[in-house]
Amino acid sequence: MMNKRSLKRRVYRDRYLYLIFLPVLAYFLVWHYIPIWGARIAFQDVRYIGDNEWAGLKHFKLLFSSPVFFRVFMNTITISSMKIFFFFPLPIILAFLLNEVRSQNFRKGVQSMIYLPHFLSWVVIAGIFISLLQSPDGAVNKVLAFFGMETIPFMTSTSHIRWVFVVSEIWRSIGWDSILYIAAINNISLELYDAATVDGATRLQQAMKITLPSILPTIITVFILNLGFFMNAGFDQVFNMMNDAVINHVDIIDTYVYRIGLGKGNFSLGTAAGLFKGVIGLFLILSTDRLSRKVTGEGVW
Amino acid sequence: MKKVLSVLALCVLVTGSLFAGGGQELQMEDNVPVIRIVSKDVSESNPWDKAHLDNITAGFSAYVGQEVVLEFVDMPEGAYAEKLNLMLLGGDIPDLIYFQGGDEAISKQGILEDLTPFVADSAVMQEVLMDFNKQRMANYPYLLWIAPPRARTAVVREDWFEEAGGVMPVTIDDYYDMMKTIKMNHPESAVVTDTGNTGRMDFTFDQAFGNTATWVMEDGSYVYKGVSDAQKEKLAFYAKLYSEGILDNDYITTKWDTMEDKLYTGQVGMVFGTAGIVLDIYNNKLQENQGVGLVALPPAKGVGQGYPVSSAKETRGWAISALSANKDLTFQLLEYLATDEGQFMERYGLEDIHYTMSGSDVVLTDEANNWWPRFHEVMSWDAPTPLMGPAGMKGWEFIMEYSVGDPDFPIPEELSPTWDALSNLQKEYTFKLITGEYSIDMFDEFVKEWYDLGGERITEYANSVL
Repeated sequence: MMNKRSLKRRVYRDRYLYLIFLPVLAYFLVWHYIPIWGARIAFQDVRYIGDNEWAGLKHFKLLFSSPVFFRVFMNTITISSMKIFFFFPLPIILAFLLNEVRSQNFRKGVQSMIYLPHFLSWVVIAGIFISLLQSPDGAVNKVLAFFGMETIPFMTSTSHIRWVFVVSEIWRSIGWDSILYIAAINNISLELYDAATVDGATRLQQAMKITLPSILPTIITVFILNLGFFMNAGFDQVFNMMNDAVINHVDIIDTYVYRIGLGKGNFSLGTAAGLFKGVIGLFLILSTDRLSRKVTGEGVW
Repeated sequence: MKKVLSVLALCVLVTGSLFAGGGQELQMEDNVPVIRIVSKDVSESNPWDKAHLDNITAGFSAYVGQEVVLEFVDMPEGAYAEKLNLMLLGGDIPDLIYFQGGDEAISKQGILEDLTPFVADSAVMQEVLMDFNKQRMANYPYLLWIAPPRARTAVVREDWFEEAGGVMPVTIDDYYDMMKTIKMNHPESAVVTDTGNTGRMDFTFDQAFGNTATWVMEDGSYVYKGVSDAQKEKLAFYAKLYSEGILDNDYITTKWDTMEDKLYTGQVGMVFGTAGIVLDIYNNKLQENQGVGLVALPPAKGVGQGYPVSSAKETRGWAISALSANKDLTFQLLEYLATDEGQFMERYGLEDIHYTMSGSDVVLTDEANNWWPRFHEVMSWDAPTPLMGPAGMKGWEFIMEYSVGDPDFPIPEELSPTWDALSNLQKEYTFKLITGEYSIDMFDEFVKEWYDLGGERITEYANSVL
């Protein structure tokens, strides 16, 4: 009874804060929780008139029945893994480097420049990269040729196209993704650095012994949450950059589902694919969180 | 706490009501039948669309001898097929619906009317529908689309064509000789390009090499054209064009807009465009940029000659809702728009904006280039004042003369994942064979892989339905 009264008192005391919080709550309810109930159409045949019909695992079977589904699945995992492995550390490194810049104007200028690509759509970015990487007339190949190197058909080479995805993702998102780390670094107490300076620590030692441990919880949280989107290898990016020459090496679950399902109005198939990806993402989040707690003592919750 | 929960429940109810779909609209207004129409890029908020609809309403009411109200349903911005599906899922099903994909799932549920009896009883439709339209409707009777087949006609810039002898190519060898000469005259440019694959070029060369249909007869049974003997010969020809720099080495990453840019900037001299007004646009822009026009070329002659026109089904078109209270009237509207009177409105647009009348003559204004038919483009309609320039007209003539029926069929849903996998396999091999990454002998390996991956099953199905 004491607890209930205490809860009531706290809610009443902070009633205006709760009121401000209501739109956020409504947003998550409407856009993130109510749609979970809609995911049941993965197990139904959608009827335009009347009630939907129960279809069991029919749409999952259709999803997995392609003779190339395993390849599509592996392409998704490969592209996502490459992005996480090669891209994930870069915004952290960038935040460290920006933290070392003394000139505020230079720092702000660089930050504005690197945030900009985040606001470009993949249609535009694909156009830029296709133009830059054309063989032999693209700017990159002209530079290679100038130094006497062989030109590379980046966009049509099966051994290069996935790297084009990684590099273009880095170009687009490195600045934007570094914001969180820069904010975390700015929250570190300056007294720690002052004390370390008095003790004779170098800049590198300060970065490794103070900055890195201080933002480690942020890094771990972001990493675990990113794993929730592991199966989203980037529909917009792949769809706009893929071509016939490399289609079998870059076709991911989302592009595959778009072709055989959504393009034909089969929403159940798209939902089945989304559910499949969501379950894998949830499993990855939970298992990584558990592993992280065991190893570092830090987790998402 | 109960109060907090009540407030939350209220929020959910209020927000939920925002997303509730509207029911079916009334089909009658003061005993006047209402036909609701949903289409892509057409809206009552667009003054031209509204004025056009008013003209059609007046003409159609006179045609059927009763007052009728026509309404365009406004659609939100975004991908049309997706928004349309969501609207229909919400229970709002207009009388007349334009589809551009995504119709099969809906027709399977009996929501679209079988148009066969309507078309059979309509003298107008019997006159304006081309053979390929009728074949498509026999395979899939829910969509009606009256427009020229979307075949691509080859066009070459006039000055390069004249420099190369100015003789209209007929055979594959003639084409090769012409393109080779152009390449010699303009070694810094490629001669021809395509958009991401060789789909446009195929319209000119498929029949000549022997790919006379999507499924061709070999040794007494049907074989998919992508794995036919003719395909091997055609790819060897394309590989030769590629290795000699005649075929643009960047065709794989070229999109339709960059294709046009390459033509207007002299990077290539020959492209393939949709016959009709599109060729006029190419011609006019080339005139602006390079000071020359285009010459339209016929499809190459060999084993066959022509533009294959699939009879599988219409890929876009008009459907009538099976739930409509005004089905007969809605079909009569489609019929009216295909008559001479309907076509006059559809093709010329709005008087004093897109055309003016000088006595009984129609004079097109500068705005005429910005008008497009909202419903039908009847090929056989004899326009009193030509709507196209010489390039467009020539392409149109070629389409009329050389369109050849292709007895194709729609791939059933259960085979679509396999068909998708086979298409991707073909795309990758085709590129590698053309660019020389694989020798042409690898084509036989591709054919084996294609059959093993599921081609056997599809071929069996094809032979059972064709």
